[in-house]
Formats: sequence, structure tokens, C-alpha cells
Amino acid sequence: MKSQSQIVSRTLVRLHSSWAVAACGVTLLMCVSGCGSTPAAWFRPNMVEATKQRLTPDQERQVSTVMLAMFGTPDAPVAPPETGLDEAKLQLAAGPVHSDIVGRKNGLYREHCAHCHGVTGDGLGPTAAFLNPYPRDYRPGVFKFKSTERSDKPTHEDLVRILHNGIPGTSMPSFALLSPPKVEALVEYVKYLSIRGETEIALMRAFFELDDEAQGKLPETREFLVDEVLTPVTEKWKSAADALIAVPEMASDLDLAASIAKGKELFYGDKANCVKCHGPTALGDGQANDYDDWNKAIVEVSKEVKSGLERAGETSTSGMDSEALAEHRGQLAWLDKFGRVLDGGDALRPRTIQPRNLRHGIYRGGRRPLDLYYRIHAGINGAPMPAAKGTVPPEEIWHIVNYVKSLPYELDGELGADRPMVAKDRF
Amino acid sequence: MNLPTIHWPHALACLLVGVTAVLLCFGALVTTYDAAMAVPDWPGTFGHNMFLYPLKAWLWGPWDLFLEHGHRLLGALVGVLTLGMAAAVWRRETDATLRALAVAAVLLVVVQGVLGGARVLLDDKTVAKVHACTGPLFFSVAIAIATLTRPPRLAAAKPELSATGGDDVLRPDRWKAVAALSTAPWVTAGLLGAAYVQLVAGAQLRHLDAAVDANTFRWLVALHLAGALLVTVLSIVATGTCWWLEAGAPRRLALMILVLVGCQLLLGAGAWVVSWGFPADWLPQSWTPAQATVARSARGAAVVTGHVVLGMLILGASVVLALSTWALRSSQRPGLGKERAFA
Repeated sequence: MKSQSQIVSRTLVRLHSSWAVAACGVTLLMCVSGCGSTPAAWFRPNMVEATKQRLTPDQERQVSTVMLAMFGTPDAPVAPPETGLDEAKLQLAAGPVHSDIVGRKNGLYREHCAHCHGVTGDGLGPTAAFLNPYPRDYRPGVFKFKSTERSDKPTHEDLVRILHNGIPGTSMPSFALLSPPKVEALVEYVKYLSIRGETEIALMRAFFELDDEAQGKLPETREFLVDEVLTPVTEKWKSAADALIAVPEMASDLDLAASIAKGKELFYGDKANCVKCHGPTALGDGQANDYDDWNKAIVEVSKEVKSGLERAGETSTSGMDSEALAEHRGQLAWLDKFGRVLDGGDALRPRTIQPRNLRHGIYRGGRRPLDLYYRIHAGINGAPMPAAKGTVPPEEIWHIVNYVKSLPYELDGELGADRPMVAKDRF
Repeated sequence: MNLPTIHWPHALACLLVGVTAVLLCFGALVTTYDAAMAVPDWPGTFGHNMFLYPLKAWLWGPWDLFLEHGHRLLGALVGVLTLGMAAAVWRRETDATLRALAVAAVLLVVVQGVLGGARVLLDDKTVAKVHACTGPLFFSVAIAIATLTRPPRLAAAKPELSATGGDDVLRPDRWKAVAALSTAPWVTAGLLGAAYVQLVAGAQLRHLDAAVDANTFRWLVALHLAGALLVTVLSIVATGTCWWLEAGAPRRLALMILVLVGCQLLLGAGAWVVSWGFPADWLPQSWTPAQATVARSARGAAVVTGHVVLGMLILGASVVLALSTWALRSSQRPGLGKERAFA
């Protein structure tokens, strides 16, 4: 029997040439790992809107310059006083993740949110494409789950509630373990990104209304930038607390069984017509070919680009004068640019929205009866879910709420007009 | 009564492996909690000498500070242990490659320390990625030294690591053992390489900067999934190959790695779920939990950190397995030619 040292020695000799190969491989791997530097955090311009508004490169630059002056950078955000945002909270949420001298953590947005929602709040973070539904794009200022009327902004408390509870059935987690000041800072930063995004869109759309004297350049005066562009955006946020949905109290002597029966009638009836999308069995198997507003915007511009390219392909340039030819070429260049914007990381592949399966008992906007009341009363902003307000009396909305709340527990009986529920539907 | 003598290179190397494992756990937790910048200066801690930082402020301070400062203290301890181990190897071992490994360990621990400092001073995630790749590399070297410095007394207690393979009488299925003996070293070396590459890919995902584009993340996920497939296949092949070896230790080790890889796949899926919820595209809606996942929960952190730590364990076990199979090959082949084996 050979001694251990002999075996070790022989093993090492055999491995000797392998060491060199392994060392080279490891070095290569580490070089690949460390190649390039960390990209600097920056606010990505809204290229879909810019291209839609046919902005020239100079106009895009002007918007970027104005935005930088008004709102600063991801590392050093600035909140114009008109926004009413708390700068101290913004500083806590902005910038790279680090602890300050008293051990308080800064950079909360980049720690908790930016990987999905993106540094800009455009819903284009690195993980976004993998998630369904896609993370919210804050820039249009549209939020789904709130206690205000459909077209109004959410209240501060609405956003706090979403952060606290998360959104069940989606990738949005609950941040219930974060301290209240941290949640407050994150909500403030989300509002900042939303106001910033809406202001950018308003600036881009303002080019369309310029007269010839402006020579394609926005006025950079306080009157224009603050009074005409920023203030209309911020006013909506400030007035959100006054736009709360008035909820009638549910009758204390309500007969629940009768209420559920009435709610079922409304669910399948023409007035509420919930059955159209949620399906006859309430499994979410109704109309499912619609999009939410964010995806719809991309679908529409994609169609526009596609049909524009088809038309351009069919157009003969042989009989065109120089002016028409220049216009034709300009149109082709625009379509080409739009195609590149849509495919180049400024938009996600559109997905249809799936109506909620009401038999799972998973309610994204909150499971309280009050939350369901808000959803049914005002609909879901940005989604095809319409408002029952105006068609169903406020007191009767409670009947629908009661019926919807009973659906996960409806184990037998006739569920739909023409389709009984079977085990495979449930699971 | 004769007291057993301590074989210092092996004892120190084993101690180094143990402390490094704890260090790696702390490092993984630092990344999970994004606590790398909890202490803004380096090599000091909030202006104090690192070793004189008040114990109370460390233990009763913020969780991020506890992790980061603890990581630094453990790093310093590993540095000192590495120097001691290298000195012992240099003094007691004569083999040039073993000595070279000890020198490599010293160099790696110094580089790793500097990288850790640079990560803080530059606040750069790219440096963090390289730091995360060097850690497992150092761990592998430490384990290799601990394995190769094993004293003869211990080896004799477990002859399968060093024995010549038993009797020279050929059994009917002996040819399988011989074939396995020539294949196993390469398969296990491949497994070792794949396990390391997988850790490198995982480090890229763990230190993902929010400013990178979606395509980068997509490619990294694809690379990590491909790596998982490769490690799984190689661990199955390694187990299958080692099964025919006459020595029991590699067989048991390969089986253990296979079980660890199975657990690792589950933890990997779990890490996705606790980070981003159930993938709605691929699973039935009814699988969706009624509650949203809770960010920064202890359970979530345990799953994500456990995934990293288990990856390190698989790497470490792969080092031992690869060395065992190479040692078997070295010890058995010269006395058992192919012609004879297949006769």
C-alpha cells in the first residue's frame, strides 16, 4: 500500500497541468464578471411619447434639460415647491443604497422598488419582462387601487396601504416589515416619480400646440413651466384627499342571504353586467382580449407603425415632387425610429389583461368589503373594469360586494346560467 | 499514554474552512439585506479602528451594521488564520504544489480584503460582483488544502480514499470500476467547474444593479438556469460514475452532492418565489397564494441566503470529490493496467 504522501504527491502532479487551465478559466470568469462598470443611474426619457409626438432630437434635448432643472437626478432629486413634496423624505428614498452616519438607511427606492419599477419609475426595471402583470409605470400618473373616483389620483393613505399590504396575486410584495418612516419616504418618492413623469409627458405634448413664432422651442419661463405645465399636474395630487368616494353605510339589519341573491341578480344582469368579463361561472372566463391602458398604448402605436410601414411600402415614389418625397422619407424615418424605440427596451411586449377569477378569494386591491365597494363603484382606473357608478345605485353596490365575497365559498348549486362548476374549474 | 500529535497544517486548514463558511454566510446575508454600505468607511468602522469598534454599538446597533461589521471582523480572522495555515504548510509540507496552494490562499485572502474595501470606498456593484466570485474561490482553495494535508493516520482509518482498491482478483464487474476510475476524475472536475460557474452567474443576479437593462437580466437568468441544468446533469453523471468505484467515500460524497443539488433546485425556485412571487405565466392561477409575499421577511431572507450558502457547500463538496477521485486514480491505475482489467 502506498503511503498517503505518495498518493497526494502523485495526485498533485496529475493535477498540476489542470491547475493552469483552471486558473485561466477562473481568471477569465472573474474578468467577465467585472468587465464594464456599473451603469450610472439616470432618468430614462419617455421615448415612446417623444416619438409619438414626433419630437426632433433638439426638442428631446430641451425636454431633458428642463426636466433635469426641475426635478434633478436619481441621486439628487429636486422637488419644485409647487409639488408640495417633502424633500427630506425624497432624499431618504433616492440615491444608491447606503447608511448615513446615524445608521439610517438611504436609497430605499433602489433597494426595494427599482429592480421592477425601474430607476425612472417607468415600469421597465431589469426584472419587469418576467413579471405578470408588468410592474406599474408611474409616469402617466394612473393608479388602480384607491379610495378616490376613477379619474382622480390616489390619496397618500391609498399608496401607504398598497405598500403595507402588497398586491396579492402579483409580484408586488408587502412592505409591512419596513418602518412607517421608510414607507412614507417610498410613497413620497413614488409620487415624485409620477409627477415627474406626468410633467415630462405634458412638456412633450406642449410642442404640438406651439405656434410658428416659437420656432419649435418651448418657452422656458416660470409662467409656462410652472403655471401651465407643472401646476395642473400637482393640483390633481393635492386635491386627491377631497375626491374620496362617498360610501353609504351597509344597513345594519341587512339580510345577508337576500343581499347575496340580489347581488347575484345584478352580477348577471344588464345594469352591472359583471358576467361579461368575469364569466358566467365568475372564473374570469369572460371577455379576455382587452388590454389595460399601459399595454393598449403600446398596441396602438405598434399598429400605427405596422400599418404606416405597409402603406409606405405600397407607395410609389416615382411621381413625387421633391417636397412630397422629403415628406415620404421623413415619415419612413419616423416609422423606423418608432420601431426601434418599441423593440429597443423602451416598451414591453403587450399582454392582454385577464379578468379576475372571483372564486379564489384573491383581491388585488384589498380584501375588505370596503375595497371591493371602491372597485365596483369607480371601476379600476387604467383597466377595462368599468365603474358601476351611475348605473347601479350606491346602496345596491353592497349587494354585489356581498355576492362577490360569497363566491369562493359557493361550493354547490347552479353557478352560471349554462355552466355548472366542476372540480377542475376550481383547481 | 501517547497523546495524538496535531498535524498543524491540516488542523489549521480545517479551522480555516469552518470560519470561512461562517464568513460566507455573513457575506451572503450582507447581500440579501443590501447592507454592504452600512459602514461607509474602510478599513475603519465609523472612524474607529475596526477591532476597537464598541461591542455594544455593534451587537445592539442596526441589523445592517451587525452584518457588515461582523463580515469585516470575520474577514480579518480568516486573514490571520490563512497566514497561520500557510506558515504551517510551508514548514511541514514539502510538496511544491501544496505550498503553491497555500501561497494562492494568502494572495486570494489579501485580494478579497482589498476588493471588499474597494467595494465600500467606490460604492461599486461591479467590484461587489468580483468580490462575490473570489469568496467561493478562496473557500475552494482552503478546502483543497484541508483535503490534501490530511495526515496518513486519518487516511488509514478510511482506506477507501487511499487504498489500492482491495484484492487483485478481478471480479466479473471489475471492468466497470476501472472504467469509472478513468472517467470519474474528469466528470467530478467538470462538476467542480460548473458549480463555480453557477456561483459566478448567481453573483451577477444577486448584485444586479437597478440601472441595467432587461436584456442583461434575461441573459443572466438564462445563464443561471442553464448552469443549474448543467450542475444537475453532472452531479447525476458523477454519482452514476462514482457508484462503480470500489472506494466508498467518493460514492457517498457524490450521492450527498446529488441530494444537495436537489435541495438547491428547490431553494432556487423558492428564491424566485420569495423575491417575485409565483410566475403567473407558468403555473395555474389556483396556485397563487392569497397573501402577497412579504419583502425582507426572515423566511424570505433564509431562503435566498440559503440558496447561496448551499451553492458554496456544493462547490466545497465538489472540491473534495474531485480530489478524492484524482487521488484514487493516482493510487490505483499504476497497479492495474487496462489490459489486465479488461482481461
